[in-house]
Amino acid sequence: MSQHETNAPPKGAPVVDFDLSSQRGMEESNAAWAKLRSSSPIAWSNDNGGAWIVSSYDMVSEAFRNWEAFRSGRNVRTIPGPGGSPDLMPINAIPVQTTALMIPEELDPPLLQNYRRVFADLLSPRKVEAQLQPRIKYWVTKYLDDVIETGRCDIVETLTGAVPGAVVLEWLGFPECDWHRMSNAFHNMASYIPGSPNAQHLMDELEWTFQRIEEEVTAARGSPRDDVISHLANTEIEGTRIPYQFATGLLNLAVSGGVDTTTSVASAAFVHMHRHPEDRQRLIDEPGLMDRAIEEFLRLYPPARTHGRTVVEDTEFGGFLLRKNDRLIISEVSACHDEAAFANADKFVIDRFPNRHVAFGVGPHRCLGSHVARAMFKEMLMQVLERIPDYRIVEDELEEYPNWSMLGGWSRAPITFTPGTRRL
Amino acid sequence: MKVIVHAEKCQGHARCLAEGPDVYVLDELGYNSTSIDNVPAHLQEQARRGALACPELAITIVEE
Repeated sequence: MSQHETNAPPKGAPVVDFDLSSQRGMEESNAAWAKLRSSSPIAWSNDNGGAWIVSSYDMVSEAFRNWEAFRSGRNVRTIPGPGGSPDLMPINAIPVQTTALMIPEELDPPLLQNYRRVFADLLSPRKVEAQLQPRIKYWVTKYLDDVIETGRCDIVETLTGAVPGAVVLEWLGFPECDWHRMSNAFHNMASYIPGSPNAQHLMDELEWTFQRIEEEVTAARGSPRDDVISHLANTEIEGTRIPYQFATGLLNLAVSGGVDTTTSVASAAFVHMHRHPEDRQRLIDEPGLMDRAIEEFLRLYPPARTHGRTVVEDTEFGGFLLRKNDRLIISEVSACHDEAAFANADKFVIDRFPNRHVAFGVGPHRCLGSHVARAMFKEMLMQVLERIPDYRIVEDELEEYPNWSMLGGWSRAPITFTPGTRRL
Repeated sequence: MKVIVHAEKCQGHARCLAEGPDVYVLDELGYNSTSIDNVPAHLQEQARRGALACPELAITIVEE
């Protein structure tokens, strides 16, 4: 069962012209969301195949929590779900063509909880602090060491892109020679300019990454090693080893969710502090504000800006009848910027509290990597402010991702600074 | 003061722990299912902040 034969607007729905796929930059995207949110917190758009668009904080939170009505699964035999073609990934706001499964993100309860336990256990706050924090500190120190004597670098390439790649791929157990290529596959895809000639190369690199994951999972299921890849590949649920396709799905998600997301918010924070020196100075003077500032960076610059769901049965929501198989576009970024939930929502309020942002989502799909993401983000912020506190962005060379519909971020952000000394 | 944790709403954000490290206890997977009957006076501010920080609104404070 696929989407409706026609994408005629549902009866009574406010119809808007909202082409998510055309959002070219952060300012443009934020402005489009603000306009939509103030007119209709839920509306129908015929763009991109037709979908309901949910944009207020309250309705976004409610939609994310209502897994019984709004499903994440795709329509394949192994994952019962309403999501249409088995080749389309329905958790994306605009479903992308891929056969690579993302587990557990593409699962619905009750299967979801069984698979979430696997990552919840590995990435609990306690384990992140005990096992990952020392490696995070090491890699931030090392990558800053690599450039600190030169006075110049691209902070995306050197730090915000490199650190999550090293931390996550080392933790999983991928050999070091793979790290750069694997994390670049995702970063370069996000930086892809539609119509540019390197599209095929980027697809090939992504394909290579998923192939490397398959090779590692196959090897680890044959003869398990003492690493996280092997642990994931041989996961047992209720006494039975999980299917191969689900094992690769766990790795697909760990890699793709791990490598370019923290990059996005950390880069945004460094750009922000360049443009708002008063915020940078306050963080230098009062490092105790760091944890609150981190939440505010996440709220103002959420990496994952939207997600998608599929309506499983006719459902009343927000005063409208959502039809079986209708698509929902749910906007984290719009919720995070909603004035009704956050006073002065478009301002960076360094000590904002409470700050119940939804940068990591809410409900049963809350990002399981959130604790390691915060730890990486914090270490990068602290070391940059300690070691190269006077850095300046070279504005002429700053490049945004060309599309902010699903993932926002910076392709490159060259900086200059007073050279410092190595620590290792 | 009582802290009531609605465990069925908890999704493991761990914001309660960040705001109230001396009040809130998470299980080995990082979820909170531990209500507290009697919060000592010097920890009540932590308890209140932890409840306010929860994005799932899973914590209720009962002031007595």
